[in-house]
Amino acid sequence: MQHAVETQSLTRVFRPKKKREGKVVTALDSVDLRIDRGELFGILGPNGAGKTTILKILSTLLLPTSGKAYVAGFDVAKNLLEVRKRINMVSGGEISGYGLLTVRENLWMFSQFYGLKSKEAHQRIDVLLEKFGLRDKDKEKVRTLSTGQRQKMNVIRGFVTNPEIIFLDEPTLGLDVNAARTVREFVVDWIREDSSRTVLLTTHYMMEADELCNRIAIIDDGKILACDTPHNLKKLVRMNSTLTLSVGGLKDINDFSSIPGIDNFSSAKDAGGNETTLRFILEDESAVSDIVSTVLGKGSKILSLQKTEPTLEDVFIKLVGRGLE
Amino acid sequence: MSEGPLMRNLRTIRGRAYPRLIGSTREPSWFFFDVVLPLFTIAGYAYVYRFLEADAEFIGYVVLGGAMTAFWLNILWSMASQLYWEKEIGNLSLYLMAPTSRMSILGGMAVGGLVETTIQAAATVVVGVIAFDVIFSLGSPVTLLVVFVVTMIALYGMGMMFASLYLLLGREAYHLSSLMMEPVYFATGFYFPVRSLGRWAAAGASIIPITLGLDAMRQLIFPVGADDAFLSVNTEIAVLCVLCVVFMVLARYALRYMEHLGKTTGRLTLRWQ
Amino acid sequence: MAVRNDLRLLKSSAWLGWQMEANWTDPFLFATYSIVKPIAGTLILVFMYLVITGGETANDFFSYMYVGNALYMFVAEVLFGVTWVIHDDREHYMTLKHVYIAPMNFYIYIFGRSAIKIAITSFGVLITLAFGVLALGVGIDLGAVDWLLLTASLAVGLLCICILGLAMGGVSFLTAKHSIGINEGLAGVFYVMSGVVFPITILPSWAQTISKFLPVTYWMEVVRRAIEPAVMEGLAASSGYDVTGMGDMSNLTLMLLLLVSAGVFFIMSIGVFRVADNIARKKGKVDWTTAY
Ligand SMILES: Nc1ncnc2c1ncn2[C@@H]1O[C@H](COP(=O)(O)OP(=O)(O)OP(=O)(O)O)[C@@H](O)[C@H]1O
Ligand SMILES: [Mg+2]
Repeated sequence: MQHAVETQSLTRVFRPKKKREGKVVTALDSVDLRIDRGELFGILGPNGAGKTTILKILSTLLLPTSGKAYVAGFDVAKNLLEVRKRINMVSGGEISGYGLLTVRENLWMFSQFYGLKSKEAHQRIDVLLEKFGLRDKDKEKVRTLSTGQRQKMNVIRGFVTNPEIIFLDEPTLGLDVNAARTVREFVVDWIREDSSRTVLLTTHYMMEADELCNRIAIIDDGKILACDTPHNLKKLVRMNSTLTLSVGGLKDINDFSSIPGIDNFSSAKDAGGNETTLRFILEDESAVSDIVSTVLGKGSKILSLQKTEPTLEDVFIKLVGRGLE
Repeated sequence: MSEGPLMRNLRTIRGRAYPRLIGSTREPSWFFFDVVLPLFTIAGYAYVYRFLEADAEFIGYVVLGGAMTAFWLNILWSMASQLYWEKEIGNLSLYLMAPTSRMSILGGMAVGGLVETTIQAAATVVVGVIAFDVIFSLGSPVTLLVVFVVTMIALYGMGMMFASLYLLLGREAYHLSSLMMEPVYFATGFYFPVRSLGRWAAAGASIIPITLGLDAMRQLIFPVGADDAFLSVNTEIAVLCVLCVVFMVLARYALRYMEHLGKTTGRLTLRWQ
Repeated sequence: MAVRNDLRLLKSSAWLGWQMEANWTDPFLFATYSIVKPIAGTLILVFMYLVITGGETANDFFSYMYVGNALYMFVAEVLFGVTWVIHDDREHYMTLKHVYIAPMNFYIYIFGRSAIKIAITSFGVLITLAFGVLALGVGIDLGAVDWLLLTASLAVGLLCICILGLAMGGVSFLTAKHSIGINEGLAGVFYVMSGVVFPITILPSWAQTISKFLPVTYWMEVVRRAIEPAVMEGLAASSGYDVTGMGDMSNLTLMLLLLVSAGVFFIMSIGVFRVADNIARKKGKVDWTTAY
């Protein structure tokens, strides 16, 4: 069976408009992805990793510099119309539509570009508005919506056309916990309803990726570093346990990386700057005592200490070499 | 899901025209802004002619020309710079991602704008005719309608072409449109018969469909209009028909080219330039 | 020091204005652009004149019209420019809300942004006048210009128009995408009723009554007397009646009338801006975008 999405050595380079201004950016570097129908596939990566660039290429808005990309078996650079008929995309924080129109009118307008009959469009709009709790907003002008309501409307816009494959670019950006959950639950239900549907989602919320996705690709600097189920990804660091320390009055983090038995580590300061959270991925349990003595040797205080099972975040740190925040 | 490409494109046109049609009723202030305002310019120029003791039909020319400026403004501000604006607010990528012809989206914009503007212009003409006692005679209304229709098709074709060419522009878009106001008002002879520019200049100005359209309309509406004509009405209709085809083809070509260019350089979906 | 802060703000907003007005292209293109627009606008009038009179431009009627039209650029462009700043910040850069909540004097920010517009317009007016004198025989004699009267009247007039622009900017908070149109309306009133390209005496008498309340009416007359005194005298002599309707007033009376009417407009404008601003905040319209 055809893959829902397939890329072969997909590469995208951005060149500055004028030679001297800015430098050449390789947003995607030989990306190979294979996503099957029925999958809820996540792309996880820090800012500027190339997530949006992948989605733009797949949604026919950007041409690859080299390599190939296929959506539903069609080349995104050649069979534009066939691809477009089968997809839709929603981006977090987008402000689409016209402020002067009502929610319903906006949704209807976009559905028209996909050739939906008005009656059918309105029926689907009704169902989706209901699901997202926007029923009472359907006659309100878009410019009066809150950010969260607007984002829900955007999500509805993407699903109204009943695409085979939907691209969600950080769809829960700016949503509160409840609204984000509504969107996630909707996406999971949507894909369960029909096994030929596919979701490709980008995010930098670990939890979101872990909870939703069948498979995850971790991307940094335009390269796919790993691609597997959340379970298998965690296995990558299973051998290693994680040590998290809260430390008070830490001045520098210089000597930690040279301690033997540490695979990788990250550090984060709290808002006040007094407390530092250190997180180590251990290859060897014996490193614990060295870590503790290094901390104390710097004249800092250990406030708490915890050894934990690996999470996606640990996988990420191991692969990318730094935390996501 | 749907009946095929034709219906899809027709629905696209309807969908994109809708906000334009509904827009003017949602913001009823349009009557003041779009009907009353042009009347000031009209009044100003009409009094200039009066001051110069010109013949009565010149006042009529001013009313007609002043009303027609609405179309040119619509082309500049709501066609040419529209895609650029859509890009800024994020609609453009949604349009380009949809399985429909870009020409239909532009067509929807054009249809919506045309209807909106025609209502405005008609209202301006009515008020102007009453306020300045303009004397006119409708000898051949059918020809007049034909002239109007071909002028508009050619004009909005030109607008669609501009829209495509503007696609990758940044802030220049505004200045470019602004630059095409006064010079075009002048060259197309909105307020005086274009013939007085001289044959070659008038011929050059004819690239803008309003020039010949207006010249033909002057001949058809005013009893002595033919005396100030640049070309005969039939010739003008013929040229306008050619312009229709040329601009539509160019618009399509330009749009494809710019879209391709945008997708190659990555500027198509880039905002805040 | 509040004054120093205000000056700094004025300077930086003027800089910002320059960036937005001119930085989109190279200086040569920008200069061309600043010349082509006004000249083309003027040519419309020139051709209207030529069509009717069949050629001769070196006479007082033409000079009267031509100079008025050139000066009117100040009215239209500055009025437009000030409001455009507000409109542009809101609809295009979506920064109005940031400017608005910043702890600074909004008036000064707006004037800083518009200062550049005045400079550019002055340039356009000069070019237009030069073109008129050199190519069309407009009757301006540099030796006969009353510089003192010119400077004084320009200063009062420009300030008055700036404040009007601000008032209109306030109103534009409330009026959807047409916000610029309302300025054109006001500019249109001035164009028709202030004796810009034809004397007010050919207007119906009700319109002439309105004219007498508009500062621009007096401004046009004073500035004209300052830069083309011979033309104004010639016009009065050749038409045999008080063609401008202000022929019997002295320069001083005119200046006085200009000051008084400008003062009234000034106060009204500040009032209008305040009220509009208030309503806008009540209705939550400061950061709307309204295009369709
Ligand atoms: N149109 C463009 N022109 C030039 N450079 C671009 C363009 N689009 C993206 N880039 C660059 O390509 C790289 C990848 O960008 P991309 O938007 O794909 O990142 P992302 O993973 O979506 O990040 P984020 O999490 O911040 O959304 C960045 O370095 C970015 O600056
Ligand atoms: Mg992104």
